[in-house]
Amino acid sequence: MNPVHLELKNVSKNVFRRVNNNMVRTQILSNLDLKVNKGELVTIMGASGSGKSTLLRLINRLSETDSGIILLKGNDIRSYVPMELRRRIGMVFQVPVAFKGSVRDNLSFGIKLWGGNTGIETLSRDTGIPGNLLDADAGQLSTGEKQRVSIARALGNQPEILLLDEPTSSLDAVSEQRIEKLLLDLQKERDLTILWVTHEKEQAQRIGGKRLILREGRLEHA
Amino acid sequence: MLEVLAIAFTVFLVILSAAYARRFGIGKEIILAGTRALVQILILASIILILFQKPLYWSFPILIMMAAIAGYTTYSRSGKLEKGLPVAIFSITIASILMLIPFFLVGIFPVEARYIIPSGSIFIGNAMNVSSLAIDRYKGEIKNRRAEIETYLALGARPEIAAGACLKQGILSALIPSIDNMKNLGIVWIPGVMTGMLLGGADPMEAASIQIALFTSIFAAGMIASNLLLHFSTDSFFTKAAQLKEDMGQ
Ligand SMILES: Nc1ncnc2c1ncn2[C@@H]1O[C@H](COP(=O)(O)OP(=O)(O)OP(=O)(O)O)[C@@H](O)[C@H]1O
Ligand SMILES: [Mg+2]
Repeated sequence: MNPVHLELKNVSKNVFRRVNNNMVRTQILSNLDLKVNKGELVTIMGASGSGKSTLLRLINRLSETDSGIILLKGNDIRSYVPMELRRRIGMVFQVPVAFKGSVRDNLSFGIKLWGGNTGIETLSRDTGIPGNLLDADAGQLSTGEKQRVSIARALGNQPEILLLDEPTSSLDAVSEQRIEKLLLDLQKERDLTILWVTHEKEQAQRIGGKRLILREGRLEHA
Repeated sequence: MLEVLAIAFTVFLVILSAAYARRFGIGKEIILAGTRALVQILILASIILILFQKPLYWSFPILIMMAAIAGYTTYSRSGKLEKGLPVAIFSITIASILMLIPFFLVGIFPVEARYIIPSGSIFIGNAMNVSSLAIDRYKGEIKNRRAEIETYLALGARPEIAAGACLKQGILSALIPSIDNMKNLGIVWIPGVMTGMLLGGADPMEAASIQIALFTSIFAAGMIASNLLLHFSTDSFFTKAAQLKEDMGQ
């Protein structure tokens, strides 16, 4: 058996919505449990607004749980330096953001920050970013291109866990399956643990792995 | 005699402006602001008058008080950020004093209350204006660029790096009016100190040289103050765990 890599115990999260100038509390996640083994792939589906993005943000500690505990390799994520935690738990956002500068600048951000040795050329080839795009201004890319850039940028950090928030939502079928293959290969090669949020049932079936659905604040087997 | 005339003229003008401004609904405000300005400037004149008779070090508490009020104004403009008041006072005071000292060291101004108080007030006032503009813009940029900042954070960047582009934008936009003023110096406008010196009968060349030295120092003080303020305010937008706060005050 693989050792448990990531574990969520009894996690709850409320958000505050402004309604007519009053703050209204809504519970998004309630007593949620999840166990993911090292090198395992988990897909998470769920209705729009069910809290999928909220869940991922808790795991790399972009926001804080209200109760419950999240463990990385058996240690509370709050015992890690947040920056180090986020290097180890990479995240690709639902809405990709390109930083100012060229595509190359974007891809090398994490590598420079953490002194990694991933090659830009390898990263871009693997994620399907054409070579002639490398020196283009990243701000002008299409959403699909930005999506590939943010996947490559996250991989540059050599994370051990990858949180993917609908990473292929703006890609055509060919690019989409190419990214799927890349991520699945990485998962096997590097024993990468992946949490993959998707709204496409076909995608979840295609990529395999454990399939979960977020419903009423908890994860259920699909 | 001259002062009675000037004050009477002021009162007359304030009343007239207020009467006219009633149609915009700001009549009362103009009366209030005008009265305040008049009273405050007369108090200042009396203080300087008293300081002439006192030892020199009496000037410093006055300057500190001015810087404290300036700091409070900027702090309010920032939406009363957490820990914002001491940071604002500190930034404005340090930048103003730093750029003011050379004038007295090299002897452009004699070390007298007559020079310390007014020149100090110009530095403090300008540092306050630039800092207020800068912090207001910085905060606006951070609010509008949440996604970008969180993308940086998610890659393991520290908050200073994540908010770096916002900080730069805040300072840049705060300095634009000063840069435009500098470009047009002597063409569109004759700044206050030079005007005062000319009216007081000084040599135009001397007035111009002192004015440009002051102007560039004031610009530098504004830049330093806003830089310090934004730098030390960054923490107020993030939690201890390097999370971008949801709610950043008003
Ligand atoms: N910072 C916030 N403040 C207020 N409400 C929030 C905040 N973040 C999320 N929410 C609310 O929490 C709910 C869950 O949001 P979340 O983004 O996690 O949904 P999701 O499952 O990712 O949806 P989608 O499939 O549309 O991306 C939504 O109703 C949203 O309005
Ligand atoms: Mg989402």
